[in-house]
Amino acid sequence: MGTLINMVAVARPHLRFYPGNSIRLSARAARQCLIDSGVKPGDLGLIINTGIYRHRNIGEPAIASLIQEMISTKRANKVNSCNCNNTFSFDLNNGGCGMMTGIEIIHGSLNNHEISYGMVVTGDSEPFPGMSKEFNINSAAAAIILSESNDSNGFSLFRTYHYPKYSEEFRSCTFYNKTGNNGKGKNILNVIQKASYPDFCVDCAVKSLFTFLDECGKALDEIDLIIPSQSPTGLTKKMKIHIGMDDNFIELSNKGNKVFHTAGMAFALKKVWDDNRFKNSKNIIFLTVGSGINVSVALYKNQK
Amino acid sequence: MDWRCQIESIGVKMPVKRLTTTELLNKIKTPCINKFGLLTGISERKVCSSGEDSFSLAVDAAKDCLSFSKYRADELDMIINCSITKYKDGLSHLYEPAFSTLIKKAIGAGKAMTFDISNACAGMLTGVYIADKFIRQGIIKNCMIVSGEYISNICDHAIKNIKTSVSSELSSLTLGDCGAAAIVERTTDNNNGLIVSGFTTLSKYSNLCTGRQNRYAPGGRMKTNAKKIHHSAIYESVPIVKDALKKSNLSFKEIAWLIPHQTSRSSIISGANYYLGYFGEKPGQIAVTLKETGNTASTTHFLALYRYLNERRFSEHDNIMLLCFASGLIIGAVIFKMNKMVYRYGNIN
Repeated sequence: MGTLINMVAVARPHLRFYPGNSIRLSARAARQCLIDSGVKPGDLGLIINTGIYRHRNIGEPAIASLIQEMISTKRANKVNSCNCNNTFSFDLNNGGCGMMTGIEIIHGSLNNHEISYGMVVTGDSEPFPGMSKEFNINSAAAAIILSESNDSNGFSLFRTYHYPKYSEEFRSCTFYNKTGNNGKGKNILNVIQKASYPDFCVDCAVKSLFTFLDECGKALDEIDLIIPSQSPTGLTKKMKIHIGMDDNFIELSNKGNKVFHTAGMAFALKKVWDDNRFKNSKNIIFLTVGSGINVSVALYKNQK
Repeated sequence: MDWRCQIESIGVKMPVKRLTTTELLNKIKTPCINKFGLLTGISERKVCSSGEDSFSLAVDAAKDCLSFSKYRADELDMIINCSITKYKDGLSHLYEPAFSTLIKKAIGAGKAMTFDISNACAGMLTGVYIADKFIRQGIIKNCMIVSGEYISNICDHAIKNIKTSVSSELSSLTLGDCGAAAIVERTTDNNNGLIVSGFTTLSKYSNLCTGRQNRYAPGGRMKTNAKKIHHSAIYESVPIVKDALKKSNLSFKEIAWLIPHQTSRSSIISGANYYLGYFGEKPGQIAVTLKETGNTASTTHFLALYRYLNERRFSEHDNIMLLCFASGLIIGAVIFKMNKMVYRYGNIN
């Protein structure tokens, strides 16, 4: 059985000059996704948050539980009730591949008939505005609601390919700067991306794509749409040239040098969802690239 | 094929450096806490020294786990890192790449699929829940669940801020550092392995325990409404425990060992008494292992299992219930049957 995308929703900060709060943005995307799909919050069996750069770098509770609370997935859980089929939520971090890994986990839970609906939600924003170096990620959030299909439509095959020799190409971490904050010291988020990283990402993504196509017995010309992640900068443009696809390889227009990170794939999906290209395509490839370097690829089939 | 999941091996890494509760309380400028050690049951905790952090604890625990396992690192299909803290090179918090990617590289698990999850103190059991899904679907044959918690730095922040005995940072004093790892594998043996794993997130309590990175100092900080979260966890866990027992066709007294999240001795005892009142029966034994380690966050259950395995307290076919309470509020129960792993740990003599 496959896993269907019921709805996708995205959110950006209302104010352009303020990066926003990743948790509130994620909750906004999640709430919109529920409204658009007609799914009730209480119907969600699993919520997985895959955002990395979180508001104030909250470590616990899981951001997913805060989002769950914001979208009011509250259930009566009386002592005498035998119904323990409540919503479970947790955070997942797999760089730019987080959403795909989250979808794969929900796919497993749907196939086991443990849940009826699952949601993958993601959101990134600068944890402490003004306290980071080389942070070029757009504040953005997205949510996708998934359910089981009764046939082979939907997500059917997932693969993740690893290229650990490139694990040092991209790194983001905090470090304590003793001289910051007027000599009192402060933690600074530092993003270190080597110049060669985008090219390695392209190479790994192209290699993974063709390995995946071989595994599922499809040729590139049988694929109607490729929905990729949008980071690092230049990935989509270079990949288009490499594989010789044009309009059917979804690329978001970028203003400035900021990129959509974990939510990039969902923003690309939203673009083709709204213009009905997603619904009118038969074979769709989702392709995400993340630091590590990891490449996650999945095949989505649509009944025409 | 009906595949199930079983725990194959467990490994732990404890820092060597000890910090006693007396030493810790002496650091507080305003003496305001009496009987802290008596109430919590924690006499000391292990804390990281220079050169140790979340990453080194996780890697060493993973290596220890492999030393008890039949699998080599290059045979692992999946690695899930479940720690709350991701400190590498001291107190530098790593966002990307995923911690598990670096652990995979450090132990030489070339083909393993990797990702991190974070679910407060329920992290490692959430890892078991996810691995179970992948194993049952036939996607993987084995998975290493690993966590390195460098949380003692939260104590340092709390010491400066605790002024009264009702301080929201008092719970920070229970924390200790630890790394733990477990390999779970596919089995077709219906008599062994994971019987049930059930979790729920009661998000209405999500504000009762919050932890985050310090803005202007290295490390993290945590605030807890200890009394309320304890009462909510105990009260709300009853239907989850009841449901887990029902799904596994077991009564509470058939559970040989109940291993709850190790927060403090008094809360474990009061929880056990509440269950006794509700169920009218109690499990064979309740594990309390925090005396020398404190609350080690996501690693507590596997630390307790590792310790009791080495003390040869378990028998093959014992029904064991791991009960987790974590900020969120996450309540989960994992019931499994102890397997032949008992013969690989501890000294028979």
